[in-house]
Amino acid sequence: MPARAPWAQPGLRRERWHGLLFLAIPLLYLAGVVLLPLIQAVYSSTLRIRGMNASFVGLGNYARVLGSEVFWTSMGVSVRFTIACVALHIVLGFGLALLLESAGRARTALRLILMTPWMVAPAIAATIWLWLFEPHFGVLNYLLGLVGLSQGGQSWLGEPGTAFGAAVLVDVWRGTPFVMLLLSAGLQTVPRDQYEAAMLDGANALQQFRHVTLPNVAYIVAVAATLDTINTVRQFDIVAVLTGGGPAGATEVLPVLLYNTGFRANDLGGAAAIGVLLLVVVLALVVLHVSITGLDRTRA
Amino acid sequence: MTRPWAILRWAALAVAVVVALFPFYWMLNTALKPPADVMRWPPEFISPNWSLAGFRTVLTERPVLRWFVNSAIVAAGSTLIATFLAALASYGLTRFHLRFSGAVMVLLLFAKMLPETLLVIPYFQMMSELNLIDTHLALILVYSSYSVPFAVWMLVGFFRAIPIEIDEAAMMDGASRLTALRRVILPLAAPGLVAAGLFTFLMAWNSYVWALVLTTDAQHYVMSVGVATMIGEYRVQWNELMAAALIATLPVLGLCALLDRHLASGLTAGAVKG
Repeated sequence: MPARAPWAQPGLRRERWHGLLFLAIPLLYLAGVVLLPLIQAVYSSTLRIRGMNASFVGLGNYARVLGSEVFWTSMGVSVRFTIACVALHIVLGFGLALLLESAGRARTALRLILMTPWMVAPAIAATIWLWLFEPHFGVLNYLLGLVGLSQGGQSWLGEPGTAFGAAVLVDVWRGTPFVMLLLSAGLQTVPRDQYEAAMLDGANALQQFRHVTLPNVAYIVAVAATLDTINTVRQFDIVAVLTGGGPAGATEVLPVLLYNTGFRANDLGGAAAIGVLLLVVVLALVVLHVSITGLDRTRA
Repeated sequence: MTRPWAILRWAALAVAVVVALFPFYWMLNTALKPPADVMRWPPEFISPNWSLAGFRTVLTERPVLRWFVNSAIVAAGSTLIATFLAALASYGLTRFHLRFSGAVMVLLLFAKMLPETLLVIPYFQMMSELNLIDTHLALILVYSSYSVPFAVWMLVGFFRAIPIEIDEAAMMDGASRLTALRRVILPLAAPGLVAAGLFTFLMAWNSYVWALVLTTDAQHYVMSVGVATMIGEYRVQWNELMAAALIATLPVLGLCALLDRHLASGLTAGAVKG
């Protein structure tokens, strides 16, 4: 760019500091509603809180949490829940995105219909599923009975083994559309001529998928996987409404353990410690996400 | 494409549509049944006894209307704050070649992804301290902690698409920077403001755990919390519960149709260019 005379410098460069003014108000606001509470949360994790009284215990809460079997059980549930849900979201979401590609003119309408589970409040969605799972009058037992998979009266949410599967099922029902949408957008960007070239070379459908589709959408699959993992690890509403973490802790993912510790067992300090540990996990995932998407995409 | 494959593809899509929509159908079907029919085996998929009685019951005997209004006020309040602050931030981020704008975006992304269950602890402590438990203001403030960063991520894309030369032209004609923003840039970014506003409204409407902790009185519940508390009752009336759930869902489905075009950009807020 040729150098311009001072009077012709774009005002935008001359008054760079004005940009700070525009940013200052939103950032100060966020300091109040995000940063301050975050600091307070970390501070609370060093306190033993009983009602109105709080005493400083340093890392005592962390020692207590990390030494408790409940925490590690919950960590295991969270890891299994997240891996199961994300894997199913990706596989089913990718499949649906590919199917949408071949749906022609119905594509837009179908995408909108398939998105509805994602748009509804998770707490409300879980309420609906609670009724579907109901042991005696729930429609799920009826439908499974028709194909001989249920003798009726099966309490899906009452048994540790099936409750975990049921929570995964509901989360997969809700979360798959999100991945489908991302991958559907990704598939739109694959250059058509690459398919034509592959066809000219005699590649069959499977080879085209392997050598044209996959390399082109690998990036977006990685983005979807990290975003979806962050969303799933934080998921509270579905499990809280479906089972509250039970039976016997079988579905007690970390956010639910945090809530139960803080607001049922009235141990806010311990809950804050669990929350900070959860935060470390989420933070690591955000760093991974940013390193995949690259800073150039986040630069305004 | 060979024919058997085409048939298989359409069959798979049909299964997906049925799985996606069946729970909603069952919610509607149950909401319309009288209590006696709800407890009938085998369950009926269509019933001659359908009526709106369940809706009448929840609307008159429970504060469902109150919850609906609470949700609407809280969602609208946080949406106004979010779009206003996000417009300022997006303008600042896209117009001044700030060196640290990338860092600001990453920080906002981080804020957007904080576990809401962690923040619920300090929010509970602070709102108790400030005597704001059971107020709309408390929920508006905590919802905006999420919706401001989200709205910035969505709006920056729209602002970036408006050429800087347009600001320069307006200011060359004597407009001050604020006038240029208000009269020229904001109208151009209007579709983005609307999309970001609808999204933040939707997310506040769907939010659960913060309102669960920050409201204690049934009159102050929002829709999601109110419906969830109906589950805990001694004897759940499923038709009433489904009627309330349906009332909670209707605005979402309306917004969903309006938002279709922005779904990809909104849900990913910057992860996909497109």
